[in-house]
Amino acid sequence: MAKRVVLEIKSGYKVYGVKKIEDLQEKRIVPKMIIRRRLTRNAKIMLYLADMCGFEGGKIVYASAFGELQSTVGITDAILNKTQISPTLFQNSVYNSAPSYFSLLNGDKDEIITISSGMNSSKDALKTAALQSLVSGEDVLCVATECLDIENIEDVNSCTKYLEAGAGVVLRVIAEKEDAKELGDYKEDGVIESLNDLMQVVNLYNDGTKKIALYL
Amino acid sequence: MQKTGNEMIKAFVNNYASESCAGDTKNLMHSIYNHKTGITLDKTYMQDTQVGLGMMKYDDFFELLHKVVDDVLQKSNLDNFHDTLLIVGSSVGGMKESEGHYFRDKNYKNIDPDRHAISVVAQSLDDMFHFVSNRSISTACTSSANALLLAKRLINVGAYDNILVVGADALCYTTVCGFYALSVLSCDVCKPFDEAREGMNVSEAIGAILLQNKQSEDSVELVGVGASSDAYHMTNPDPSASGAIKSMQNALEDAKLKPQDIDYINAHGTGTLANDTVEAFGVEKLFGSDVCMSSTKAITGHTLGAAAAIEAIISCEVIKHSLIPSQANLQKAQNQNVNVLKQNKKQDVKYVLSNSFAFGGNNTSVIFKKV
Repeated sequence: MAKRVVLEIKSGYKVYGVKKIEDLQEKRIVPKMIIRRRLTRNAKIMLYLADMCGFEGGKIVYASAFGELQSTVGITDAILNKTQISPTLFQNSVYNSAPSYFSLLNGDKDEIITISSGMNSSKDALKTAALQSLVSGEDVLCVATECLDIENIEDVNSCTKYLEAGAGVVLRVIAEKEDAKELGDYKEDGVIESLNDLMQVVNLYNDGTKKIALYL
Repeated sequence: MQKTGNEMIKAFVNNYASESCAGDTKNLMHSIYNHKTGITLDKTYMQDTQVGLGMMKYDDFFELLHKVVDDVLQKSNLDNFHDTLLIVGSSVGGMKESEGHYFRDKNYKNIDPDRHAISVVAQSLDDMFHFVSNRSISTACTSSANALLLAKRLINVGAYDNILVVGADALCYTTVCGFYALSVLSCDVCKPFDEAREGMNVSEAIGAILLQNKQSEDSVELVGVGASSDAYHMTNPDPSASGAIKSMQNALEDAKLKPQDIDYINAHGTGTLANDTVEAFGVEKLFGSDVCMSSTKAITGHTLGAAAAIEAIISCEVIKHSLIPSQANLQKAQNQNVNVLKQNKKQDVKYVLSNSFAFGGNNTSVIFKKV
């Protein structure tokens, strides 16, 4: 059995929208338009979640099962149609774009890890955030987002109602082992499975649970 | 198991296997020491333009992936991987297959989302070998470096006894055409650190490394890992090299070493103007002009998410051969204040540092130790 650790949940927030999450407070969080217009949807949601969690900098573990689909589709369309690929589209297509924009905007020079473990993405992100906190003794932002709102997504999606969703928590490993809540199987209705574990932690936090236990 | 001074459990590289455009590990090292590049000049992905690419020979990428991982299992002291954690680093995942469907059908109907995702590499290996658990990391060109970083830390804290790190990326239109759009591809074999370099070669590769908490006869220790973020630009490295320096410093600190302890730096060295200028400047500032440095990407090309796994294997081989590889395709180094080797150098190699840098200013350095 892998090592068990107990984490204090210091803050948490979740958000989702059927097609698009409406108010991500982009102008307040990213005042400079020149940067704001380059951000991916995942980056905007991730920045919003970090802001709502009161996280200003430090170690980040970000997760997404499908990453920057909109950028990827833009690139493949350009290749198919023999048009020029936008360099911004390509630089935004990597899975670590969202937390990299956070780093850029907040001057965060700390470690950033991006997990993409399919439907276990937020579960593995929590384990990785726990490891990062254990070895550093620091708070870690663990955040996951999915943006599936691309044209004709219905070709491959029939069960996810909320095409944009995300959840984030700030965690720290603590020594006290008592009264920590173990995570169980959980399904957030209408939300892609990859976000379930983080959604569960945010829900526990909102219900008053401040300590969780998990295995690295 | 062996513990370090502060009771951390040590992480040993006990077995590995690889495939790249320069062949398996044995052929790769022969190519590196003899400057025989695996790069070919090709128009497959860019119909109007010839670029240098590192292409492997295979019918099915996943069959080759299984073969590489099976090689590691056969050489290991394990009967199976049922008690082994799998950590995969990949930047492409199943993109190659998705592109094939989309370009043919012009719709998504035959794309399987599970086979499109980054996690398809781990899932495919798990279906074949049944690991105790698996996870996937995608931080662009540092993906397998961060897989190594997490693997070392998980062993250090006693969470796992055996971890298989796999770096795997296949060539696809998105990456080749995307890097072309950034104007960083070379139409020839790349020339890392050369003053006349023109850019990088996109490549594909698979590297698999078994890390264990017990030393074996042929072990190399993964003794230090460090990471940082530039917080500067999405694709260009910080010209002050502060992010690159910080990741190298963090790795040295983790290994409890001083810069002068390092015998060889296996550089990220992509051959792009920006990367090589900044990396050489960072090495100059932190290490001075004595430490030997070269980039093996003139042989393998830039294998993206697999690069750090391939270069970790090269670093271990350099330690075992006691032979530091010189820089292929070098006429005159741009930075004369760093020691980019012109001839292979026979010497006892105790410590090798390997750098990986990625989009988003994501930097990771790892250090290997002779045991």
